[in-house]
Amino acid sequence: MESDSSVVSSGGSDRAHRREFLKRLAVLAGSSALLADLPWWSPLRAQPVGDSPADRVRIGLVGVGTRGNLLIAHLLRTPGVEIAALCDDYEPHLQAGLARVKGAKGFADYRQMLDMPGLDGVVIATPLYLHARMCLDAFSAGKNVYCEKSLAYTIEECQAVADAYRGSKQVFQIGHQRLYSPLILRALELVRNGEIGQITQIRAYWHRHGNWRNPVPDPSLERRLNWRLYRAYSCGLMTELASHHIQVANWFLGAHPVACAGYGSINYWKDGRELYDNVNVVYRYADGTQVIYDALTSNRLYGEEIQIMGPKGTIEAVSGKIFAENPPPAPGIVQLINGIEHGFFNTVPIGGPSWVPDLKQDTKGNLIVSEKLTDDGTAIGLAAFANAIRLRQPIPGMMEQACRAGVSVLMGQASMEQQKEIAWPEEFRV
Amino acid sequence: MRAHERTMSRFDAESPVSDLNRAAETAIQPPQGLWEILSMCRDYWQRTQGAFDITLWPLNHLWREHSGRGEEPTGEAIEQARRQTGFERLQFDEIAHTLRFQTKGMSIDLGGFGKGFAIERLAGSLRAQRVEQAFLSFGESSITVLGSHPHGPAWPVGITNMFQPSQTVHTFHLRNASLSSSGTAPFNCMEGPKVLGQIIDPHSGRPLEGYRTISVVSPSGIEAEVLSTALLVTPERDRAALLSGFSTVSAIEIVYRTSAGKFVPCIEWKYGI
Repeated sequence: MESDSSVVSSGGSDRAHRREFLKRLAVLAGSSALLADLPWWSPLRAQPVGDSPADRVRIGLVGVGTRGNLLIAHLLRTPGVEIAALCDDYEPHLQAGLARVKGAKGFADYRQMLDMPGLDGVVIATPLYLHARMCLDAFSAGKNVYCEKSLAYTIEECQAVADAYRGSKQVFQIGHQRLYSPLILRALELVRNGEIGQITQIRAYWHRHGNWRNPVPDPSLERRLNWRLYRAYSCGLMTELASHHIQVANWFLGAHPVACAGYGSINYWKDGRELYDNVNVVYRYADGTQVIYDALTSNRLYGEEIQIMGPKGTIEAVSGKIFAENPPPAPGIVQLINGIEHGFFNTVPIGGPSWVPDLKQDTKGNLIVSEKLTDDGTAIGLAAFANAIRLRQPIPGMMEQACRAGVSVLMGQASMEQQKEIAWPEEFRV
Repeated sequence: MRAHERTMSRFDAESPVSDLNRAAETAIQPPQGLWEILSMCRDYWQRTQGAFDITLWPLNHLWREHSGRGEEPTGEAIEQARRQTGFERLQFDEIAHTLRFQTKGMSIDLGGFGKGFAIERLAGSLRAQRVEQAFLSFGESSITVLGSHPHGPAWPVGITNMFQPSQTVHTFHLRNASLSSSGTAPFNCMEGPKVLGQIIDPHSGRPLEGYRTISVVSPSGIEAEVLSTALLVTPERDRAALLSGFSTVSAIEIVYRTSAGKFVPCIEWKYGI
């Protein structure tokens, strides 16, 4: 019980705030016309709980690195959650984590953590190559699992996780937070409402400028701390960045790609890394839609975006904007000013009564949500995980989303490495 | 501009208009500015035979609430709201300089009049600064121009088809004039089979139906505003008589009728054109 008070006191008002937010969300989740498109929102229809011990979900988190620490920050604010254990085989990370979460039990070996009595769920935030074996061991131990993306290191491992989970009553969730992002949801709503017409292409990119390295106190730790750069641990930009956007593309298209082809290279950060510093992959879908993806680490001008395009418009799902293909004319006053500046004498069109200008838009796009959104879906996703554990109900559709994205990015990596088209593994079963 | 809004806004809880709306049947002494504005409104109310009336808020509110739910208010509710409307129920005590609502629940809304008043003041201040050419637009429904377009003899302003904004239904050529447009619109576009206008007919207590707009050109921004509203609720046969009491005015009424599933604009009535 020692940990209880500390957890509450470390995030008391935050947690109350988040509880209110989730209460409102429960109403929204219960009434959304989109629910058929997002079955994984169903746990959110349950109201968030209080802090009584009976409601509490006890979580053990393995992998107290960058992402693990962010998840800790969210878990400390998630109503009805107690972080009961932390695990990391890198002592400094573990100690830093234990200092943040007073009362949590520390482990160096995740298998010992799985044996800890009273643990309801496991959050896996380790390097990619460990995901599958940890998921499988956690399933065997009867634990509910939240696994960071991407699902696994190989397609065979993705299949093994899906096989082990099939028919299970346990909760599984993948850390693709966009599945719970209100902004992405709004974009999906606009697509389903026909605002851009049929999706004819999705273009997504993530451009950064940096070597993507963590500081290393001793050269012997290079591979452990910079695992994202080495092939034995990760597939680099594809699994760590592209998986987010490819997941959204698969979701919006309601399908997995049938094939892909791409090129990648190390053309700038020639620092001993093994994984590409730029990746470029085109995915083909059965209905003839293509998804074009690239990630770059030597230029940040264009940043991150998912452009969903159709004959009637474009949605930029990261900046949250919609652009009409045939925008209504600019307001009369804008046309007038343009005309005067160009020496034209033309009529100023006006809409008459003042309620018409709602129709008017400009070519800079229109925001798809009016309020500023602070959650990228991580907070809502963790609340869904906790609710699902409490309800003892698996999250519908989640493993399929995890597998589709997980396999797609591994196909992309294979295509670049083998320099040939890679087909979706037809035998794959969720 | 901000000062005008502070005086006239019913959405600003601190405004003198809000003070009056809160005072119910108690007499209040309004600031001089509001007293003058309401005296002007009374004058226009008389000159338009009651067609221009700033006391219709309770009826407007009643219809707005019900149409949001896709239903009509009961006859009884309409009658009750009607007893809370009518400029004759706003009492002016010329000696004590106080205003008082005769019935509880009354409320005034200076809406369009406020826009006309503000645009006229703005035009006046530009003239005082010797600005010779200007185009002022308050959300397109209230426009005032000074002089003419830099590249032509007037400011041509086209009233567009509200269902097809690329099409102009009528063009006014404005010089030192104001143009005001009023019209009906559905309270809630998404619901309800019936289109209920946002303009209440003070004679029937019911909103105007269908899609109609009236645009009025006048030397005065305030009068353009008053007349565009008043003409909408005045039967066609009485409009010429109403307008004879005002300085040079031209006006046009556009009615949208459905034809082959589309709304088609038709110039139903015009005056001085």
